[in-house]
Amino acid sequence: MEQLKIKHASAMPAPTWSWLRMNDTEISLPAALARGGDIEIEAPDTLLDTASTFEGALAELQEHLDAKRANATDDRACVRAAQMDQEGAGGRETSDGSLGDLDTPALSRYQKRATLEEVAGDVTRAFETGIGMDARSYLNFAAGETVTIATEAGSTGEATIRVTGDAGTTVAASIDAVAAPDSSLSLTIALDAAPGSSDDASSNQGPAGVIGSELRVFAGAHSHVDVTVYVTADAGFVAVDDSGYVLDEGARVQVRHIVLGGGVTATGMAADLRSDTARIDIDTRYLASGSERRDFNYVVRHRGKRTISNIIANGVLAGSSKKCLRGTIDLVHGCKGSEGTERETVLIADEGVENKTVPTILCDEDDVAGNHGATIGHVRPEQLFYLESRGVSSEDAEALFIRAKLEDAALSAPDERIRAAILRLGNRLIDGFAEELEGDAA
Amino acid sequence: MAKQRTEVADIDRTLYDITDSEEGFERLDAGLTPDIVREISERKDEPEWMLDFRLKSLEIYRKMPNPTWGPSIQGLDMDHIVTYVKPNTDQQATWDEVPDDIKNTFERLGIPEAERSYLAGVGAQYDSELVYHNMQDTAAKMGIVYSGIEEALHEPAWEALIRSKFMTLIPPTDHKFAALHGAVWSGGSFVYVPKGVKLDFPLQSYFRLNAKGAGQFEHTLIIVEDDADLHFIEGCSAPKYNVANLHAGAVELFVGKRAHLRYSTIENWSKNMYNLNTKRARVDDEGEIEWISGSFGSHVGYLYPMSVLNGRKSRSSFTGITFAGAGQNLDTGCKVVLNAPDTSATVETKGISKGGGIQTFRSSVVVTPKAEGARVSVSCASLMLDDESRSDTIPAMDVRAKNVDIGHEATIGRIGDDKIFYLMSRGVPEEEARAMIVNGFANPVAKELPLEYAVEMNNLIKLEMEGAIG
Repeated sequence: MEQLKIKHASAMPAPTWSWLRMNDTEISLPAALARGGDIEIEAPDTLLDTASTFEGALAELQEHLDAKRANATDDRACVRAAQMDQEGAGGRETSDGSLGDLDTPALSRYQKRATLEEVAGDVTRAFETGIGMDARSYLNFAAGETVTIATEAGSTGEATIRVTGDAGTTVAASIDAVAAPDSSLSLTIALDAAPGSSDDASSNQGPAGVIGSELRVFAGAHSHVDVTVYVTADAGFVAVDDSGYVLDEGARVQVRHIVLGGGVTATGMAADLRSDTARIDIDTRYLASGSERRDFNYVVRHRGKRTISNIIANGVLAGSSKKCLRGTIDLVHGCKGSEGTERETVLIADEGVENKTVPTILCDEDDVAGNHGATIGHVRPEQLFYLESRGVSSEDAEALFIRAKLEDAALSAPDERIRAAILRLGNRLIDGFAEELEGDAA
Repeated sequence: MAKQRTEVADIDRTLYDITDSEEGFERLDAGLTPDIVREISERKDEPEWMLDFRLKSLEIYRKMPNPTWGPSIQGLDMDHIVTYVKPNTDQQATWDEVPDDIKNTFERLGIPEAERSYLAGVGAQYDSELVYHNMQDTAAKMGIVYSGIEEALHEPAWEALIRSKFMTLIPPTDHKFAALHGAVWSGGSFVYVPKGVKLDFPLQSYFRLNAKGAGQFEHTLIIVEDDADLHFIEGCSAPKYNVANLHAGAVELFVGKRAHLRYSTIENWSKNMYNLNTKRARVDDEGEIEWISGSFGSHVGYLYPMSVLNGRKSRSSFTGITFAGAGQNLDTGCKVVLNAPDTSATVETKGISKGGGIQTFRSSVVVTPKAEGARVSVSCASLMLDDESRSDTIPAMDVRAKNVDIGHEATIGRIGDDKIFYLMSRGVPEEEARAMIVNGFANPVAKELPLEYAVEMNNLIKLEMEGAIG
C-alpha cells in the first residue's frame, strides 16, 4: 500500500545526536484513505454558538503584552550573537581568519532561534503544537472544518468530542477552545476505533485507518481548563493527537493523555505559559503491547514570571512495543520565579521492548528551578518481595501492572462509551478482563 | 540600595596566555589537501597502511556534514587552520635538552615539578610533536610501555598491536572531526600495561598548543591488560589569539578483564579554541573505567567521553565539571553503552555558567538487549550564576533490556535563598555562605582529582565574592 510519510514530526526543540534516532519521528499513513468515520460533538449550544476565535484571543493577549513591554534594549551576549548571525555575518571568521568579538558565544541553531523568538515577543508567530506543521496540515485537511468551543467570562462548560475511526478511512477533529477570563472549561476527546481490520499498523500491510485530533487552546486570565484525551483504538489504527496551548495570566490547565490503544500513536503537545503565574499539569498514562508504537512530544515554554509546569508520565511497555518520549521544559529569559518539573516512570514488562526517553531542560534564566527524573525498569525489588510473599510471581506481578493501568483508566472513565472502549481493549490483552472488573465493581 | 549579585571572577589566564616565538619551527600551509596529508605522513616516515588510512579518512571528512545539533562551528574555517607545526626540537628524554622557551613554558605549567613529585612518567607535546617523554625506571621494569605513539609505531614489537587497535573504537566514520583526526593526527602517547601490573603513580601527558591558527590532533592509545591498574592524567592548554585554533584529538582506551583505568583530564584551552575532542573506552569482563573530566577553556567545546561496556559486570563512572564563562559555548557530557549482562554505570556532572556563557550537559545511555540486569544512575546539576547565561540539559536514554534499573535526576537553578538563609542564621556572612555553596557544588569533582589538579581546578574557578546585603 502506498504510504504518506510525515517526516520530522514531533521534533524536539533542542536536538541531540541523530544516531540515537530520538530527535523526531516519522509517521507513515496510507496515502489512499478516504475521509470518513464519525465526529460527534457533545456540548451545550452556549459553548458552540460563539464569536470568539483563537486568533482573536491571541491578538488581544498580544496587545496587553505590548502595552506592558519595556523598551529597554536587550544587550545580552546571546542576543548580540543571534542578531549578528541573522544580519548575515554567518561565519564569525573574517577573510583574514580573525574571529572578531570572542565575548559573544557561538550559538547552536536552536539557541539562536529561541533567542530571536524571545526578542520578537510575537505570540502568534511563536505559537506551536507538539507534532509540528506537516502533521497539523494533514489533520486540518482530514478534519475539514474547525469547531470552536468557547466559554463566557466567569462561566463553566463541558464538552466531549468523539472521533471514531473506520477501516479504510481517515477521520480527524479540528478544535479551537477559548476559555474566557475566570471561566472553567472541561474538554474530553475520545479517539476510538474498534477492530474493523485485523491488520496491525506496524505490519507490511500498513494501518487500516487513521484517527486524529488537532486542538488549539487559549486559556484566558485566571481560567481553568481541563483536557483529557483517551486513545483506545484497535491495533490496526494510527492515532495522531496534536495540540497547542497558550496560557494567560493565572490560567490553570490540566491535561491528561490516556493512551491505551492504537497500533501507532503520536501525541504532541506544546504549551506557551505566556503570562505570569500560569500553570500547566500534564499527566500521561500509557500502555503498549504487541508491536505497538507510542510517541510523545511535550514542549512547555515558560515565558511569564512565576509560572509552573509539571509533566508526569507513567507507562507500561510489553511485548515488542516501542516508545519514545521527548519532554522539553524551556525556561525562557525573563520567566523569573518559574519552576518546571518532569517525572517519568516506565515499567518494562517484556524482553524486546524498546524504550526511549529524552527529558530536556533548556534554561535561559537564573532565578528558576528545572528538575527532571526518570525511573526505568521492571517491578522494583521491594514491590516484588511484597507481592511474592503473597504468592504472586514476577511474571504475574508485571501482568498485574498492565491490568492496573487498564483498571485505573476504566474506573475513572468519564462516560460509559469510553469505559466500554477500555474494557474492549482490556479483553484483548487479558482474558476475561471486563467480566472480572465488572464482578469486582459489583 | 541595589543588591549586588554573587560574582565569580573570570579565570586569570595570564599563566596560560604566554606565547613563545616560533622561530625555527616548521609550519605546513594552512588548509587541508591530500598533499598536506602525504607530507605529514612522509615526515613521520610512516608505514604505507597509515598513509592509506589517512587518505581514506580525508575522503570521509570531505563527505561528512558538520554537526547541526551543537554550538555553531561556522567560525572554524579549515582553510585557515595549519594542521602541522613542528617545534624546533626532536623528542627529548631530559628537560635539559628541551629548548629553553618550551621548557620554561612547561615549567610555568608545573609539569616537571609534578613529574618529580608524584608522576611515574610524563609526555609533553608542543604543537604537533612530542618534545619530551620519560618514564621512571621502576615502571619500565614492570614491563609498562609509555612512549610517543609514533615512536611505538616504528617498533616492530608494537606496530601490529597498534595497527589492530588504532581508530577501531573511534572510526573515521564516527563523525566529521574523527575523520579529520584520522587524516592529520600527529603526536600523542602509547601506553601498554601488561597483565596483572598495577602502577601506583599516575602517568601524565600534557598538550600545549602554542602556534597561532593551528590545530592539534594528538592520538592517545592506552591498553590495560587483564587485572592491571593505571591512572592516566591528561592536561591541555593554549594561549589566546584572535583567530580560531582547533583541537581534534582522539583517545582510545582498552580495559581488560578485571582491569581498572582512571583517566583524568583538565581541558583548559583558550577562548579562541574549537575543542572537538573524542574519547572512548572499551571495557571487558569486570573491568572498570573511571573518567574524571574538567572542561574550562575553549570558545566552543564538544566533549563526550564514551564508555562501551562490552564485558559482563564491567563498570564505568563519569565525574565531570564544566565551567562556561563569557563567549564560551561548551557542550559536554558523556555516552555509555551497556552491552553485557550486569553492567553498571554512574554519571555525576556539575555545570556552572556565568557572564553570558553557555553550558550544555548532553548524554546518552544505551542499554542493549544483551544487558539484562544493567544498572545506571545519572545525576546532573547546573548552577546559573547570573541571568545572562544559559544552561541546557539534554540527556537521552535508550533502554532495550529487561530487568534493568535506570535512574536519572537533573536539576538546574541558581543558589537557593534558603541555603543562604540557613548558613546566615548560623552566623556565616552572606559572601562566605555563597562561596561555600559554590565550592561545595564543585567539590564532588575536585575531590576526585590529584591534589595538584584540584588546586589547578580551584584556580580555574577562582571565586571572588563581593556580595553585599541589601
